[in-house]
Amino acid sequence: MSQIHRTARGGRIDRNRQLTFTFNGKRYQGHPGDTLASALLANGVAIVNRSFKYSRPRGIVAAGAEEPNAVVQLGASEAAQVPNVRATQQALYDGLVARSTNGWPNVKRDLMGLVGKLGGAFMPPGFYYKTFMAPASLWMTYEKYIRKSAGLGRSPTEADPDIYDHLHQHCEVLVIGAGPAGLAAALAAARSGARVILCDEQEEMGGSLLDSRETLAGEPAEAWATQVIEELKGLANVTLLPRTTANGYHDHHFVTLHERCTEHLADTAPRTANGARQSRARLHRVRAGQVVLATGAHERPLVYAGNDVPGNLLAGAVSTYIRRYGVVPGQQLVLSVNNDYAYRAALDWHEAGREVVAIVDARPAPEGDWVTEAKAKGIRVITGSAVIEAKGAGRVSAARVAAIDIDGFRVTGRVEELACDTVASSGGYSPVIHLASHTGARPTWNDEILGFVPGLVKGVHAAGGANGLYALGEVLASGLEIGVRAAAATGHPSSGFELPSAEVRRDGPQVALFQVPHEKPTLRAPKQFVDQQNDVTAAGIELATREGFESIEHVKRYTAMGFGTDQGKLGNINGMAIAARCLKRSIPEVGTTVFRPNYTPVTFGAIVGRHCGELFDPERYTALQQWHVEHGAAFEDVGQWKRPWYYPQARAQSGNGQRETLHEAVARECRAVRETVGILDASTLGKIDIQGADAREFLGRIYTNKWQKLDVGKCRYGLMCKDDGMVTDDGVTACLADNHFLMTTTTGGAAAILEWLELWHQTEWPELDVTFTSVTDHWATMTITGPEARKLLAEITDIDLDRDRFKFMEWRQGKVAGVPARVFRISFTGELTYEINVQANYARHVWETLFRHGEKYGLTPYGTETMHVLRAEKGFIIVGQDTDGSVTPEDLGMQWCVGYDKPFPWIGKRALSRPDTRREGRKQLVGLRPRDPKVVLEEGAQIVLDPTHAIPMPMVGHVTSSYYSPTLDAGFALAVVKGGHHKLGATVYLPMADGTTHEAEIVSTIFYDPKGERQHV
Amino acid sequence: MSKAAVFDTRTDAAIAVESPLAYSYRRSGAPTPGPHSQVTIRERAFLGHLILRGGAIVLDEAVREVLGMNLPGKPQGLVHDASGERSIQWLSPDEWLLIVPGGEEFDFENRLREALGDARFAIVNVGGGQTLLELEGPKARELLMKSVVYDVHPDHFPVGKGVTTVFAKATAILRRPSDTRWELVLRRSFADYCYRWLLDAGEEYAIGVVR
Repeated sequence: MSQIHRTARGGRIDRNRQLTFTFNGKRYQGHPGDTLASALLANGVAIVNRSFKYSRPRGIVAAGAEEPNAVVQLGASEAAQVPNVRATQQALYDGLVARSTNGWPNVKRDLMGLVGKLGGAFMPPGFYYKTFMAPASLWMTYEKYIRKSAGLGRSPTEADPDIYDHLHQHCEVLVIGAGPAGLAAALAAARSGARVILCDEQEEMGGSLLDSRETLAGEPAEAWATQVIEELKGLANVTLLPRTTANGYHDHHFVTLHERCTEHLADTAPRTANGARQSRARLHRVRAGQVVLATGAHERPLVYAGNDVPGNLLAGAVSTYIRRYGVVPGQQLVLSVNNDYAYRAALDWHEAGREVVAIVDARPAPEGDWVTEAKAKGIRVITGSAVIEAKGAGRVSAARVAAIDIDGFRVTGRVEELACDTVASSGGYSPVIHLASHTGARPTWNDEILGFVPGLVKGVHAAGGANGLYALGEVLASGLEIGVRAAAATGHPSSGFELPSAEVRRDGPQVALFQVPHEKPTLRAPKQFVDQQNDVTAAGIELATREGFESIEHVKRYTAMGFGTDQGKLGNINGMAIAARCLKRSIPEVGTTVFRPNYTPVTFGAIVGRHCGELFDPERYTALQQWHVEHGAAFEDVGQWKRPWYYPQARAQSGNGQRETLHEAVARECRAVRETVGILDASTLGKIDIQGADAREFLGRIYTNKWQKLDVGKCRYGLMCKDDGMVTDDGVTACLADNHFLMTTTTGGAAAILEWLELWHQTEWPELDVTFTSVTDHWATMTITGPEARKLLAEITDIDLDRDRFKFMEWRQGKVAGVPARVFRISFTGELTYEINVQANYARHVWETLFRHGEKYGLTPYGTETMHVLRAEKGFIIVGQDTDGSVTPEDLGMQWCVGYDKPFPWIGKRALSRPDTRREGRKQLVGLRPRDPKVVLEEGAQIVLDPTHAIPMPMVGHVTSSYYSPTLDAGFALAVVKGGHHKLGATVYLPMADGTTHEAEIVSTIFYDPKGERQHV
Repeated sequence: MSKAAVFDTRTDAAIAVESPLAYSYRRSGAPTPGPHSQVTIRERAFLGHLILRGGAIVLDEAVREVLGMNLPGKPQGLVHDASGERSIQWLSPDEWLLIVPGGEEFDFENRLREALGDARFAIVNVGGGQTLLELEGPKARELLMKSVVYDVHPDHFPVGKGVTTVFAKATAILRRPSDTRWELVLRRSFADYCYRWLLDAGEEYAIGVVR
């Protein structure tokens, strides 16, 4: 198929090269420099989609980000599928494959269209709310079908083959938009020496200069753009980012830019020259000092009947397609306008050698220079009139034109029908205020330009069209001034540069026209679309106001205007104007809706960057990670740490490579510790080095118990409360020297506890001489525990392990396996235990030496699950499992660990005398023994006293830890029960979800070796 | 006699040591630098790392006496001695990181403690818990831009500066000892994550690992 609408010459395309692409299964040709939209128009493809709600055929309307209809699904393979691509923004490449996102079996013969035609009358605004909400239980079913039949594209079902990344950027002046204002601002700022980033969403920088019919310094305007871009490219303080959309403006001038790195080359990123993968898209996370919004303006279409029939375009888009892409999107044009600037569409069309049927101007007596020029070229200008309706099915076939009374909102003259295939319209221009709106600043209405200009927070500037300036000379001057101002604000005075002389053109004033009246009232006229992407009509808005929706925010919710990926780029102002007309208010009285990030859709990959797969979250490893992996450990996440959970062995009896289950491995590991000796990698425990003359005093204030009398060489268990008296951490702290302690914390709490200590020291007790330094990573900690632990350690250490000279809760230093070590005799299992600490670089050597010597003792590595069982058998709590932020030391029955008579009021002390912490009936930690020893209670199970009570039963507590104990050959649990400390021996009940009820006895929390003899041996 | 416990956690015995990246090299490999490599990384393992806490004036006197170098004169400063082998970096208003060739740290700790006498100070050996990674090459800065939130532009990050900052989803110390070289000081437990991140982010620059 030939490119029937391609001009003979002109445009910024490379006519010497042909590109082949496929749209809806059909092959077409285009040229480098084309967008998918311009190539489709060149090939005469009028219908590109079916509409969302009514399934009406739709064509290309715009030439940029504001395009509502040409939203396509891109990708030649399943894995490369990209939804929501605007054909107007997608550069053409060889082999491009795209499909319409809506319309089945195809956009020309759409089965859903029938539904749309029949259903249209029955689908008023608020349709979903009114119809599908009842019964609520069916909404899930409705939604599935609604989404399937609507659809703005789909995500791929295969894994994305591409990679993405983030780049953290910092600059003094960020200029968004590289049209005339942005280029001028960037050049002014750049010449001051400020660090400048200039980004632009299009394939080429230059913006409106690329399709301008004006001259600068006597040359075509695009030549000035080229020259400025060349200069900026050569400056080391300037970063140019083409194909990069500023999508979100966040707090403190943090702006997210979305760069499409390779999307102009292929649907998946090609390899680089050296064969490496490269990012398909990149998110630039920019922190800017000053931000210049040079985002230009979007032309507003007029709202008239049939304005969505393919062949209805924006006037400016017509010029862009002709001048930039060498495409005239039709044969006969009717142009409907309310302003002078839009006349250029007719002039460009005429110069391209095609017929301009008429310019229909809503103003009674237009008189600008371009009006004169059009008349001089013999173009018919019909004044005081507008296109009130475009006729045609699948393509415009005629425009119905009539004189109108704008203020009276009515058609006043005879309707003339002009045969044509294209209707272009312009209702003026709306500054692109989306990014400024993201900052929370409200825009203000400007009557002169008939548009909202952005509200600006400190450090944000708007230049050119974004600020409602449209004449080229004014736009450039505004860019220059703001570039100088922004640079100066960052400490870089700039003398600017000499502006090129722009043409002086006389423009007549525009007239306020948004919705064009029809002979019939709005509710009965053929559909007049306000938001084509969301199928919102003028009648829909009128109906919404009649139903009592007066706030524009409510009208938007009710009608879906400006929803989703469209974000109201073309329709919002017209929608507000219509609401204002219906409510008999002014537009500023109706207000404006707020725009949200993102300005255009961003691929999820770019948001994620490389924070995915194996890099999704840090995995923290101990120095023994490789050994654990080699020995088949199953891992558990504890915070960001990977800790061995258990070490499943090959099953002895089966011999077919089957490995133990968790239950089997834990039983074996538990028995090893209780009967011979086990070893645990405890390196993840938080370790804080505390030094200073007041270290001991500080510990006494931060822990609940006493520290004044802890001698050098000794260790003590400590409990820490928040100021509300609730337990927050625990661990063993050793006295290394008079002014020197080593504190251990829970694995997960390490960082928070270090902050907690710093907080109290820095804000409350700065007079104390004490410092805290994390040494968690410096030391590797290997815990050997069990009856054979002493014999094993004795083989490889010079430390005297005599039970009376190195007692329980003491530490010694010496060498273990030839490595300097501190050994702590403390126990979390109730068995004879030594915790060996060595500098982490030696960990593997010491660990493996232990295994060489430990084999004869049955040394068995165990993981966190076994650790949990063993500690629970001893009634040792785990903060965060047996406590939940509402548990005091007294609730835990740990009064032995509270120094009530300490001279200084330690953190949490006062809270322990509050009525609530003193009251009867607090939940207290107890042990539970199920009556049936085979039962292992569920953690979290609720406890009741009377299982026959009617539901809801009064619940008196819940299970916090529960395991099967191989040592006891029975299930056992820890639980919190109201008044539990006074209920020893009582029977409680645990009703389960499946209807069964377990029975258990309240017992002591210590299930094994209640006198603690084993750890003292 | 010092009221803090000093302990040489290093031994001269011929005992195998493993750097924080030992596992990473085995698991993730270490691509050899080639002619296309625009960035290279090199681990300087087993250096002596000491955290110095205390007042700037007394510490400055002590390090001048013991090491013949000054504390950095201002926040975020990094200074080296004449050999370039020993450095002191500001970490926070009362905290500095002293890095010396491996094996020197215990001697320096003792001598500093002696020089500091009864002053309020603390010295903590953290050498087993962190490792230093050097980055060089024309794309080193861009690789850092992918990784750290902090501004690494030369105007903002001149030679002789060092900061603690966010590295991907971890924390790292970043410093710039020379025009061409950047250094990361990584915590042992996060080192593998940071290493894998660097290999992944550096792929397009044909990143190489000097071993």
